[in-house]
Amino acid sequence: MAVVKLQGVSRSFPLGNKQISALNKLDLTLEKGEFVVLRGASGSGKSTLLNLIGAIDDPSEGEVFIHGNPLSSLSDKQKSQLRSQYIGFIFQAFNLIPVLTALENVQYPLSLQKVANGEAKKRAAEALAQVGLADFIDRRPNQLSGGQMQRVAIARALVTKPEIILADEPTANLDSETSKQIMDLLGSLNRETGVTFLFATHHDFVLSRASRILELKDGHIVNDEQVKNLNLVDQIPPGEKVEY
Amino acid sequence: MLRLKLALLNVLRNGRRSFITLLAIQFGVISLILMGGFFASMYEGMREGVIRSQLGHIQIYQEGFNQFGSQQPEEYLMNAEVLQKITKLVEDLEQVELVTPRLNFTGLLTDGSKSLAVVVEGINPEKEALLSSAVKLTAGEDLFEEDTDGALIGDGLFKSLNLSVGASLTLMATTADGSFDARDVTVTGAISTGTREIDNRFLRMNLQHAQGLMYTEGVTRLVVLLKDTKHTDEVMALLSDAFKKQGLALELRSWSDLADYYHEVVNLFDGIFSIVQIIVLAIVLLGIVNTMVMAVMERTPEIGTIRAMGGTRSEVMALFISEAFILGLIGSVLGVIFAIFLAQGITAAEIMMPTPPGSSQTYPIRIFTEADLLWKNGLFGLLIAVISSIYPAVKASRMLITQALRFA
Repeated sequence: MAVVKLQGVSRSFPLGNKQISALNKLDLTLEKGEFVVLRGASGSGKSTLLNLIGAIDDPSEGEVFIHGNPLSSLSDKQKSQLRSQYIGFIFQAFNLIPVLTALENVQYPLSLQKVANGEAKKRAAEALAQVGLADFIDRRPNQLSGGQMQRVAIARALVTKPEIILADEPTANLDSETSKQIMDLLGSLNRETGVTFLFATHHDFVLSRASRILELKDGHIVNDEQVKNLNLVDQIPPGEKVEY
Repeated sequence: MLRLKLALLNVLRNGRRSFITLLAIQFGVISLILMGGFFASMYEGMREGVIRSQLGHIQIYQEGFNQFGSQQPEEYLMNAEVLQKITKLVEDLEQVELVTPRLNFTGLLTDGSKSLAVVVEGINPEKEALLSSAVKLTAGEDLFEEDTDGALIGDGLFKSLNLSVGASLTLMATTADGSFDARDVTVTGAISTGTREIDNRFLRMNLQHAQGLMYTEGVTRLVVLLKDTKHTDEVMALLSDAFKKQGLALELRSWSDLADYYHEVVNLFDGIFSIVQIIVLAIVLLGIVNTMVMAVMERTPEIGTIRAMGGTRSEVMALFISEAFILGLIGSVLGVIFAIFLAQGITAAEIMMPTPPGSSQTYPIRIFTEADLLWKNGLFGLLIAVISSIYPAVKASRMLITQALRFA
């Protein structure tokens, strides 16, 4: 089963008396384990597409399915639960909660899932170890470098074991060396965990790591290129449709 | 657990803003405790003043006295036999401190050149000295049993007649049988009951002397002083039952039934207190709403992130309300503590208040810090803080996630 499916999705925004179309009748399917890079010029609709797939925005037209569930049929609370269970976000500005330590930041999504405190701490520590920050768990975001903060954000996105991780320009605020390290990390996590990744980026070096490249222009997918075989997909048992 | 910790850390996050919010809550709690404590002390002072200068806790009359006694007072006097019976019943109660008879009538007091209408009270001097402890002697000496023709004159009356201690006056009154008689009285001293109207036309004299003038052995009323005002209702019920069982046709009135002026003042001040409460509520509420809205605006990306991670609207609301609860709790506790210190300081300073309207005595400011007042106002501060956070919390929870994330 497709992790994400978009059918005839359009999204337009009001601008004065006009409606500006950000996405136009988009059809798209993302399979489990894909490492998809979304590229396009600024204003091409990359962020809008991520927001729709992330269930934090609603299409003006068409339907988005996550794990087979049509988002239009879900209430705000059900969408929150869906995000909590199936979707991880990585943001350009890291978006860590400044008063919490690295461990607590990673633990936070688990606390939203009502995971017991001890269990949540253990899983958060494991996630931080997975991204190479085992020795930094007690540090606050302001005591970490940009790369380290993004690693914490990655651990936070991974800790709930989502189906898909959405990353909007995750390397835009990092230097090139750190960006490459982060992309290597994400690539290896994709291979290890089988989680689907969808990146919006303008960094070309990311393309070499992608299994699929989508190119957006004026709200349309103008290029959908499969660049690597996905061995992982076959190893992952198909998920069951989730009832909300 | 983590979410509660986050709320606590957020409170500490912007120290200056939290400090201002705490100040607003403390201001509200302290203002209300000090004002409430001052009013409570004033109410108590007034209540005990009227009880211990005029009314006692309970007054006992012949049945019908309060309805018809003003027209035919002589018909509603209690005779010596009834008096003895009642006194025994009342004195048997452990809550009672003393019971004393009074004979009340109106008369004309003259010094030979000037005559003034006076309200006369025939009393038992020894018992009345205990009962009327709030009555202040402003000149001369108190009245004693051996001062058979002695009289205590109201302070205002004493001055208006330009009297001196030892002055001899004549008191005229209509007797119980309807004739007219007069007796000489000697001024032993001047007294102040605290109520100017009473002090301007009040005279106290020995009961036997008053009874001699009125040609009666009866009394108008028995005044009961209790060990504590809080026993009033209980003793009223006990006496009412006891009188019924004994077949005594009597009427009972508590100090509260008789103290109309006290209730008027209490109602007036309660009204003022309610208005002050509303003003304080508005000031504190606006202060907290303002700082909480600023906190919401500042943390917009954080709200977007929490929502993107799966936090529901109610979880975002709970986060901000928890922060307000923590601030409210700290602010209220500190407010109560500071209010206690301030109340004690102000009370110890003995700052004198101006003479209130209708009163003839000044009094020092006293501020009570009763547990009831403290916890109610502490809770009030906490509730204001929580209520104030509802609007900003709803605002935070209703943010569009995509827009909130754009502020990162």
